Amino acid sequence: MPVEEHDPFEDQFASALRQAGGTFESHRLDLAARGETRGRKIRRRRAAIAGGVTGVALVGLGGALVLPGIQTDGGRRHSVAGSPSAPPTPAASPTRPSAMSADDVVRTLERLLPKGKFSGEEGRGTGEQLPPYARVVYDDGKGKAAVAVMVDRVRPGGSQALETTACPDKVFVPYDACTSGRLADGSTLMILQGYEYPDRRVDTKLWSAELVTPKGQHISVQEWNAPAEKGAPVSRSRPPLSPDQLKMLAGAAAWRSVADAIPADPRVPTAEPSRSQGVPGGSVSATLATLLPKGAEVVKKGVADPGFGYVVIDDGKGASMVQVNVQADMSGLANQLFGSGSRTLPDGTRVATHQGPGDKGGRGVVMWTVDTMRPDGRRVVISAFNSGTQHTPATREAPALTPKQMETIATSERWFSRD
Amino acid sequence: MRQSRSDGYPEFAAARAGHLYRSACLLTGGDTHLAEDLVQETLGRVYLRWGRVSRADNPAGYAQTVLTRTFLAHQRRHSSRRERATDVLPEVPDPGTAGDAPLRLTLVDALGRLSAKDRAVVVLRYWEDRSIEETAAVMNTSSAAVRTRCVRALARLRTLLGGALSEYATP
Repeated sequence: MPVEEHDPFEDQFASALRQAGGTFESHRLDLAARGETRGRKIRRRRAAIAGGVTGVALVGLGGALVLPGIQTDGGRRHSVAGSPSAPPTPAASPTRPSAMSADDVVRTLERLLPKGKFSGEEGRGTGEQLPPYARVVYDDGKGKAAVAVMVDRVRPGGSQALETTACPDKVFVPYDACTSGRLADGSTLMILQGYEYPDRRVDTKLWSAELVTPKGQHISVQEWNAPAEKGAPVSRSRPPLSPDQLKMLAGAAAWRSVADAIPADPRVPTAEPSRSQGVPGGSVSATLATLLPKGAEVVKKGVADPGFGYVVIDDGKGASMVQVNVQADMSGLANQLFGSGSRTLPDGTRVATHQGPGDKGGRGVVMWTVDTMRPDGRRVVISAFNSGTQHTPATREAPALTPKQMETIATSERWFSRD
Repeated sequence: MRQSRSDGYPEFAAARAGHLYRSACLLTGGDTHLAEDLVQETLGRVYLRWGRVSRADNPAGYAQTVLTRTFLAHQRRHSSRRERATDVLPEVPDPGTAGDAPLRLTLVDALGRLSAKDRAVVVLRYWEDRSIEETAAVMNTSSAAVRTRCVRALARLRTLLGGALSEYATP
């Protein structure tokens, strides 16, 4: 009992709270499975956007707590019970199109696809907490293929809008081809021809189009060469729609109406996510490159991305990726990140070191991590791999940096020198 | 060391989902639908990071932290609903077992009238049995702020609940 000064009410309340809380039982027995499904979806979406965000998710145990995803996912709930005094964003456009049901969204997709047979339809309308989507199994006569469209809104010109339509870094997402550019109407479009599984353990192809209009309408189309995204054998050599057809489908005006029908857009007035607050701007990758020990040749370097960066170095014994994540105020997770086995340096910086297998499927890949947190909560995490990426086989026995060298880099003052 | 991303995750999720759901019900002031969504989101995020989370000292505590922050982030986006109007009763769609329903209704109604942050503090302190310091860490705030919030929330609850608790609760 967390009682400091004895207060009978406090005791009574704690006891009553435990009794009351204990009576809630979910009717959904599949919450755990739904959580996993949700996680897979988030991961897939992140894999389809720029490497920066993916990388943060890879390195940061708690970093994603302040990522855009958490502010966008589940952002549209407007049905908190019994709150008639708080209607959803009354200032929103009065000309907003009427809500669309899951059926409407599925029918839109079927109407826009070339002639074929449809089965396995599922979808979500515009009035739900999560973004509307449609998924069908489409057969153009050459084999069944899953095709899905998700419609969403992003902040126009915001970092999410930019990341969504930027080709990912091949270091994080292997793919065969990717194009990204601007359309005549000002929309940005990325067409990515990649794979469902980054490590290609099953050769399911995943081709996708990500389109963001100047108004922030975001249309995401995905297609596979299998009737399901995972767990179904490949049914054809390539997904049914060509890159040009993907572009047409993503660009269809009907999807913009779906986006406009999404009731509230809490993100529009939202400032950029706090991920970059207190974190040096500019290129973390460039800073990392300047801190490497002599003799480590940089063969590849990540693009400028506040808070996250990587380099691939080669000391003559094979490629080794080193990635770094710089975060402001992560003190809330200090106890979880720095448990037994962690150390505290004389200046109060806490240091934890982990060595283990990589978790992205590259054969024989090991991942060494040095996690550091300054007394004020600023966190620098560095991971090094014995491969040039996480999803390709090991190229050497151990990463090119020792844990000691990684700690020296992580505790450098240079990470925050621009604060 | 874990060999794959999901090693042990299904067991963890199955074991924790019920408790997370009950926590979420209290956090949301009895909105069981929102509670399910929050738990789903929380477990999704734990799943994403399972390789690391599973090696942390306290995965269950981590999940609870994610839940609390997910809830607070949700409330920030819906700031107009941060406090329930005092003349509107909360919806409690699942009355549960008859014997506990009056206590739950009374208590959950009172919780629903607190601000989201006050509710988070109360749930962490008295449902999760977290210390002031731990609560402060989860909420990214100072111990002093948690202490203040806690005293204020208890005072409010005392007013809202009156003598209702002594009927049901055995200290």
